[in-house]
Amino acid sequence: MTTDQPNPYRLSDSGTRQISFTFDGKTYQGREGDTLASALLANGVHLMGRSFKYHRPRGVLGSGSEEPNALVSFDRGAGRVTPNVRATTLELYDGLVANSQNRWPSLKRDVGAFNNTFSMFFPAGFYNKTFMWPRSFWDKVYEPFIRSMAGLGLAPTKPDPDVYASTYGHCDTLIVGAGPAGLAAALAASKTDNRVILVDENPALGGSLLSSEKASIDGASITDWLAQTEQALRQAKNVTILTRTTAIGYYHDNFIALAERLTDHLADAEIGQSRERLHRIRSDKVILAQGAIERPLVFHGNDLPGIMLASAAQTFLNRYGTAVGYEVAVFTSHDSAYGAAFDLHDAGVHVPVIIEARTDIDADLRDSAAARGIEIVLAAAVSNCFGKWRINALELYTPINGKTRRIKCDALLMCGGWTPSLHLWSHSKSSIKWDDKIDAFVPGKANENASCVGACNGDFGLQTALEAGGRVAGGEATYTVSEVPFGRGETFRSLPNYKDVSKQKAFVDFQNDATEKDISLAVREGFSSIEHVKRYTTIGMATDQGKTSNLNAMQIASVAVKKSVQEVGLTTFRPPYTPTTFGALAGYRSGDLFEVERKTSIDSWAAENDAVFEPVSIWRRARYFPNGSEDMHAAVARECKATRTSLGIFDASTLGKIEIVGPDAAKFMNLMYTNPWAKLAVGRCRYGLMLREDGYIYDDGVVGRMAEDRFHVTTTTGGAPRVFRHMEDYLQSEFPELDVWLTSTTEQWAVIALNGPNARKLIAPFIDGIDLSPDAFPHMAVREGKIFGIETRLFRVSFSGELGFEVNVPAHYGRAVWEALFEAGAEYGIVPYGTEAMHVLRAEKGFIIVGQDTDGTVTPQDAGMSWAVSKKKKDFVGKRSLMRSDIVANGRRQLVGLLTVDPNVVLEEGAQIVADPDQPIPMDMIGHVTSSYWSETLGRSIAMAVVKGGFDLEGKTIFVPMPGTTHSAKVCNPVFYDPDGERLNVG
Amino acid sequence: MLVDQGLEIGDTLSDGCLTVLLVSERTRYSLRIKAEDLTAFNLESGLGLPERIGQSSLTEARMQLCLGPDEWLIVTQPDLDKGLGAQLKRLSDSFIFSFTDISHRNIALTVQGSEAVAAINIGCPLDLSPEHFPVGKVTRTVFENAPIMLLRTGEDVFHLECWRSYGPYVTGLFARYAKDIEMS
Amino acid sequence: MFLIHCPYCDEDRPEIEFSYAGEAHIARPQNADAISDAEWSEYLFIRENKRGIHCERWWHTNGCNRFFNAVRNTVTDKFIMTYEMGEPRPTPEEIEAARDDD
Repeated sequence: MTTDQPNPYRLSDSGTRQISFTFDGKTYQGREGDTLASALLANGVHLMGRSFKYHRPRGVLGSGSEEPNALVSFDRGAGRVTPNVRATTLELYDGLVANSQNRWPSLKRDVGAFNNTFSMFFPAGFYNKTFMWPRSFWDKVYEPFIRSMAGLGLAPTKPDPDVYASTYGHCDTLIVGAGPAGLAAALAASKTDNRVILVDENPALGGSLLSSEKASIDGASITDWLAQTEQALRQAKNVTILTRTTAIGYYHDNFIALAERLTDHLADAEIGQSRERLHRIRSDKVILAQGAIERPLVFHGNDLPGIMLASAAQTFLNRYGTAVGYEVAVFTSHDSAYGAAFDLHDAGVHVPVIIEARTDIDADLRDSAAARGIEIVLAAAVSNCFGKWRINALELYTPINGKTRRIKCDALLMCGGWTPSLHLWSHSKSSIKWDDKIDAFVPGKANENASCVGACNGDFGLQTALEAGGRVAGGEATYTVSEVPFGRGETFRSLPNYKDVSKQKAFVDFQNDATEKDISLAVREGFSSIEHVKRYTTIGMATDQGKTSNLNAMQIASVAVKKSVQEVGLTTFRPPYTPTTFGALAGYRSGDLFEVERKTSIDSWAAENDAVFEPVSIWRRARYFPNGSEDMHAAVARECKATRTSLGIFDASTLGKIEIVGPDAAKFMNLMYTNPWAKLAVGRCRYGLMLREDGYIYDDGVVGRMAEDRFHVTTTTGGAPRVFRHMEDYLQSEFPELDVWLTSTTEQWAVIALNGPNARKLIAPFIDGIDLSPDAFPHMAVREGKIFGIETRLFRVSFSGELGFEVNVPAHYGRAVWEALFEAGAEYGIVPYGTEAMHVLRAEKGFIIVGQDTDGTVTPQDAGMSWAVSKKKKDFVGKRSLMRSDIVANGRRQLVGLLTVDPNVVLEEGAQIVADPDQPIPMDMIGHVTSSYWSETLGRSIAMAVVKGGFDLEGKTIFVPMPGTTHSAKVCNPVFYDPDGERLNVG
Repeated sequence: MLVDQGLEIGDTLSDGCLTVLLVSERTRYSLRIKAEDLTAFNLESGLGLPERIGQSSLTEARMQLCLGPDEWLIVTQPDLDKGLGAQLKRLSDSFIFSFTDISHRNIALTVQGSEAVAAINIGCPLDLSPEHFPVGKVTRTVFENAPIMLLRTGEDVFHLECWRSYGPYVTGLFARYAKDIEMS
Repeated sequence: MFLIHCPYCDEDRPEIEFSYAGEAHIARPQNADAISDAEWSEYLFIRENKRGIHCERWWHTNGCNRFFNAVRNTVTDKFIMTYEMGEPRPTPEEIEAARDDD
């Protein structure tokens, strides 16, 4: 303790432990149970931040999650900085560190505050209007300036070391809000056999009860009733209570997202302990008991620190034992503020005046004020506020006589009525309706099995809330309550002031710094829809979603557009209800668990052998295997050379595989692929080409016929899921009469591709039950037998043009078989190769990669693959489209080979192709490069491209303009190597 | 054998309340037959395939799981149940149906303990309360980004299968949850 | 996240298990060779994209693996009914009777 009185504004010592914390580098004392806001107020600190646009000094407006002003940066060390935390919800712990935002270099000396001085230049739409012209200034001057000034707080620059949790949950009744209505609903529901979840964003149950000392329920004090209620609910086995948990979004079919804060309130939160948990709850019934939020009054200077909602001051007093000042004036148009005034007075605070906007109030209130010696001035307003960092006086204006009076104060409470919280209700697309009695929107028709109870339903008062809560959960609850009546109020669309409106700064949206004037300006400039006014003025678009501002904005707009409030309507609320960390949204799905990374059973061998990996769809595949310091170019050249001259080994396990079984299997294959299948002999393979119904190439792969009624289909790695879906779709929707079934077998088999003249020699000693001789086992055949005693489907196929085998073994044996082959292959200088060499080898042979050389607009004809399309079949998917006039028209882009004139130039994949490099820009682009590699085998570069009318351009020169240079290349047949396929039989 | 998938998860992920075990090798067949042929098929084969989606028939040696209107997954203990492949082959002479060996496609985990439901619900969106997901119920569903198959074999015991390459992701999620239990 | 009633599983299941599969009741022409390019394009590309009652297909991808039909109101975003593949499009009266989404 540094002074005798560390908390000069603390009125009651609640007996909790004293703790210290740091704000903007200065250490203060607070108490356990405080929020940062209540602790700062106890120290007499009101200045907590700078506003967003004008950098005006700001203090707290509210006392909970509705707070627009007091946004701080919560600092738990590197990577653990959370910007824009509301000081009113940040729970204090010993050693807490927080900093103010939107200021530089310090909260009191803020360079950006010149925005405030020059604010006449910053009206609504300023950024839109001023920065439109000249265009060239945007990039160099305006944009960097706005970027440096804009934004709330600073995003953390280090990775977040914390971890987060997530879960799904189910219940019969979800109750949002544990104020009187929510608690009564939970009590009633706890007596049924329903599964109940009760959530509240506060650390303690009670809601508004935590701020209202003077009431009693069923003869018990509020404190006692809360304790009994909590005990009853905690004992009920069917009730789950989640505190520090915000219902952030309400989605279809009663699906609610809850963000639970687990460790932010702990002084010793370890890294590794989940910081927050996202609950994704499906509830049969949802009860919203979210209460209401008090509205500020809109008057000149209403944003000075020390000016706040009356209910906030009452909360700071009753819940945290903190006075927001010792000379506290009140400005109100609603009875409820009198309760705050009286509570403060009774606690020893001087209340110099209650400035009442209405012309008359109930005698009760008048008498109660008189008994306390508090002056009430009726039909009056605050016309100005004085003070730099905190209010020190106000100017009272009585329009009836035009007089003003200066009144000293160190805080000013305001109350302009109450707004039921309809945020979640609106997320659920339930309707709202205007209620003249309370001058606010209340729930209309529910779009889900949901109800609003208590203040968020427009039903104010403790007894009303308790009984409504009990009833909605099926109970017939009656409560005996003594309470200060909630009272009533009147809404003023504008408050009197003798000053010219254009000279006033009366804030409506405190967080986005939008004033009454801005709304009128927007309407004057022709924005009549509230949604447009909102976007133009940015009212309600800040992180508080206009919790304190929406209704005031709408009412001001309704005057300006001369429509009723009902006609003006409310803007749309969207999730999340309060700002939510990305961590909470990700839950467990971060780091390694962000996305599935699929690995084959051979992947671990590749990792141990220094493979460089690349992602292929969500698979991780070895791209190349560098020897020592080799770069990719050198490694790929070596891998290709070894494969062409002796033996390469490649993990092809990621290829999609589908087993197609049934008496109609061949019929089905005939429909799914362009090729004919009926006559394919058992034990033979065929390259299959699959089209979409629009005639464009969708996938390809080798298919082996294992039996009359059984095909082993392979697909591209990335295409496996969509091909399976495509087949199931046609089978179930168009051809349900066929007796055939599909089973994904991608992961049943590990696939080891052996390519090169020594491939047969390598496997021969280890194969049982298969005659490997070329005559007995020709190219494009499949046999079943054993390798190293393990069951195998052995394909003789080649994606390299060399003699090739693909050894399929059950996946668990993949690595063992691979290692055995690798060991035995030493004698042939076996080399493992990756996807990069695989691509080069196939490109040398002109084999396409679907999705690289095709892009969803390439037909078999375009790809030069008419040979794969059966002319005899009556039907297959895509057949009719191949006859469409624009598919058979001339001038389509066709797949060709390219040989650069300079053999050392490797074209860039995706580069555009032109016929005449000297034509003016923009040039007529006739195609683009789809594949391009250095071919070690050919000692030069090779490329594939789609070019308009490409087949007719063979031998002609085309051009590839690149920055600084233009490459020329000759169009050729895309089969660059061994066009007659003799290599397949070498070995 | 499953080490290559990073599945050396040991016996348990957490003391007592949550155990996640890698199930040893199983034989698996995907069996497909039209619903109208099922009665005759069951009669002839004696397999006793359950008739409705979500139902299972379970013995120590064999699980028969109905996953779709014409789809069953049969999981057997290879030591206790050897003849199924040959039997299915014989049956294909008299019935139109399909069976495909997918023994190695899937891996299986046993998830058990008082925290089993909570652990599965971190990624599975289904209501696993006993009324909605009783013992014996089976279904394909998701576990966050991984497609899984979930079977309840006891009040606090589940048999979970996924394609082998999804194994590390699934066990990784369980490990994170186990750590949460440990640290709270 | 919707709850979708799978007519095969006969259960309400979370949307995350399903995939959308486009408009329903678009039959693949049996006489494709005989119809004009215009008619074929109609089948291939033209969809109702309807505001209001819409018949569409869903696939219970991570469930029973069946495609099925659904009637959904694209304005209220509520499912009205689901039914098995091959069943006829429900009549307006049947849809009206099943609606509770006005």
